[in-house]
Amino acid sequence: MIHDYDVIVIGGGLTGLRAALCISEAGLSVSLLSKVHPLRSHSVAAQGGMNASLGNVKGENGIEDSWKIHAYDTVKGSDYLADQDAVELMCREASATVIELEHMGTVWSRLENGKIAQRPFGGSGFPRTCYAADHTGHSALNALYENVMSNEINIFAEFFVTSLIIDEGCCIGCTALEIMTGEVHGFHAKAVLLATGGFGRVFNKSTNALINTGDGLALALSAGAMLKDMEFVQFHPTTLYGTNILITEGARGEGGILLNIDGEQFMERYAPNTIDLAPRDVVARAIEQEITDGRGFEGGFIHLDLRHLGSDRIMERLPGIRQIAMDFAGIDPIEDPVPVQPGQHYSMGGIDTDINGQTNIPGLYAAGECACISVHGANRLGGNSLLETVVFGRIVADKIIKDIEIIISKNDEVVENAMITANKMIKNILQRKGNEHLFNLKNKLAYTMTNKFGIFRDKKNMEEGLFEIKKIQEQIENVSLQNKDRKLNQALIRFLELNGMILIAEVLAKGAIARKESRGSHKRIDYPERDDIDFLKHTVVSIKDKQMYVSYKPVHLGLFEPKERVY
Amino acid sequence: MKIKVYRFNEKMDSPSYDTFDLEPKPGMTVMSALFQFQEKFDDSLSFHYSCRGAVCGTCAMLINKVPRLACRTQIESLLKGNLKVPIFPYPAIGKTISWDPEKEVLVEPLPHLPVIKDLIVDMDLFFKFYRFIEPTFKPVDFNSDEEMIMYPVDVKKLQVYTNCILCAACFGGCPIVGQNPKYLGPAALAKLYRFHIDPREAEGISRLKIADIPNGWWACESYGNCFKVCPKGVPPIKAIEKAVDKLNNSKKSI
Repeated sequence: MIHDYDVIVIGGGLTGLRAALCISEAGLSVSLLSKVHPLRSHSVAAQGGMNASLGNVKGENGIEDSWKIHAYDTVKGSDYLADQDAVELMCREASATVIELEHMGTVWSRLENGKIAQRPFGGSGFPRTCYAADHTGHSALNALYENVMSNEINIFAEFFVTSLIIDEGCCIGCTALEIMTGEVHGFHAKAVLLATGGFGRVFNKSTNALINTGDGLALALSAGAMLKDMEFVQFHPTTLYGTNILITEGARGEGGILLNIDGEQFMERYAPNTIDLAPRDVVARAIEQEITDGRGFEGGFIHLDLRHLGSDRIMERLPGIRQIAMDFAGIDPIEDPVPVQPGQHYSMGGIDTDINGQTNIPGLYAAGECACISVHGANRLGGNSLLETVVFGRIVADKIIKDIEIIISKNDEVVENAMITANKMIKNILQRKGNEHLFNLKNKLAYTMTNKFGIFRDKKNMEEGLFEIKKIQEQIENVSLQNKDRKLNQALIRFLELNGMILIAEVLAKGAIARKESRGSHKRIDYPERDDIDFLKHTVVSIKDKQMYVSYKPVHLGLFEPKERVY
Repeated sequence: MKIKVYRFNEKMDSPSYDTFDLEPKPGMTVMSALFQFQEKFDDSLSFHYSCRGAVCGTCAMLINKVPRLACRTQIESLLKGNLKVPIFPYPAIGKTISWDPEKEVLVEPLPHLPVIKDLIVDMDLFFKFYRFIEPTFKPVDFNSDEEMIMYPVDVKKLQVYTNCILCAACFGGCPIVGQNPKYLGPAALAKLYRFHIDPREAEGISRLKIADIPNGWWACESYGNCFKVCPKGVPPIKAIEKAVDKLNNSKKSI
């Protein structure tokens, strides 16, 4: 079956929904494809909040926040790798975006005077983070979904995209497997927007939803797009020991402190000024160091202590965190400290786009976590990712609306051929008879990535890791699935996901090995310093004739000159 | 211990149950047990999963005859008998198969929705009722550049209902939904009430009128299972009681 739309949006999280809404309001036909129901997207799990210089809460000495201070904090937080024009755009749009969501129904937490409340987050000079208790993503996602519903936008839920269709160098649609029926559909469009989120599940200790397998990145790379800055992976300092479920930075924003086994507030040694509210890369490294040096608890964790906040504040500001700690660790933060350890949390890198979300392939756009526009550079500040999703969901949609007048695309034959290829691929996977076990390989990959490309990296370990990745790439050829059905075959979906994840892992590995410096989240013990002369540039990886190529692109500076990053 | 899982696909005349042995580790959830089942026993087992942190609402199923989120339900606590929920009995949680709750965990699909395969149900009906109540925010008279003022006390009241993750545990747990497939159900009604009490909307009673129909507010018989099974502590029963009161009062005053 072939469907025809002006625009296809792939991904139903905050970015995808915001973009679809915008495109629909412009009078274009749009459909949204997602491998899960949109409300099950990972955006729903975002806890802490969204940054905007509303200035509803004054900073120290009564100074008023501004987009420019927000931009400065973001650029400094990025270790100067973010493109400053993109950062400026995001920070200028921030306040309007928070208000826009409010007008769609998001229930932001409020100050006594009725204005939207803001709290401090790591790496920010101001209480800048707007929040809906500690379920901000849930609140924003529901509001957007409700609006998408009322605009009667076509949603193809539980459709797994199997390929992007390229005709004469332009993206003209995609093929997708309808999970429930096993049928391959063709989608014909003038423009395709990828909004598929991050690839956290490439790692084994991750806060990400189980569905975050980076499908959009692998699709884009295979179609001829480029991936940028993939070596920059954020490890969140506080994930719950055992399940690695996120414990928001807002917990420290509200006054929570980190303690080692000696009961010492060790962050004072690592970041004397900002202490527990230093940026995530700094805090994650400090915790990892404490654990390595034997000052962690057995099993590899430290304590996040919230007890001094008192039960009222915990119940009001961090009710979700309390519930998570009770449900998944059997601990009530009112009574006991929460055991936490760093875990993969966010992908700063992604599909290489310009400031408007355009990739190097005409007709193909990307936004949100799957894209690298780049507003986060080498380290993202808490509260900036929710902001990015909604701001760029709209901006990229606007660009698509403008571009669509000049894009001409119509070629049913190419779509039909792509569907035949996708069907053959699926048939081939289901017919395989090798001895390799899908889930073993998946676990092996995730274990390798955490151990060889974790918080501290060096040449020897990373090269071993890359060797392992290449081996897994060969082994997946011999995977056979027990389940041979076309209909609702989750093993098949996991196989397709893993195929892409292996590709992403290789890109990450190659970028990380080639970047012989330490910057933001990319910390090399063999190259401990930042090297602006050789590496103040974006890594770009592409595939040509099955070969992977690493090259570089300049960083857009302009507002702030790079200087040493001290907290 | 054993996990006993409901199996069904369209090729089967009637459902069957598969039993899988596993060693419960501290912290092991029903969802992680299902993954083990899929990885070590049969990769054709189907169930919905996403966040594994009790926020996305995709994995509601019937566990030991109570609708719950698989990702949040601890095996050890179930076996110890710590997770008993005293819900009012209804046909869909009647006896289907015998199981020993001290040694086994029984996992079945969420009631009141058609089973597609194994633990996956068709949620279309649930979302049809959700759409019926017009769940879109309609603020009145606002300046598009400015935030609307709203006080913390109102936010607190609203959050009780905006916490809903649309997992449909209440839909599967409501005796009335089982009797009357046209009943809008607890989640949709709680959602409607959320918009009614939003101070930024000034629609008064008109929002409530959307469900002022026999299969809306009036169909509830106050069994209260909805509140008891909600993983987020949302009380649809309270919303329904208050809506009914308000509608009754408005009718009296006419």
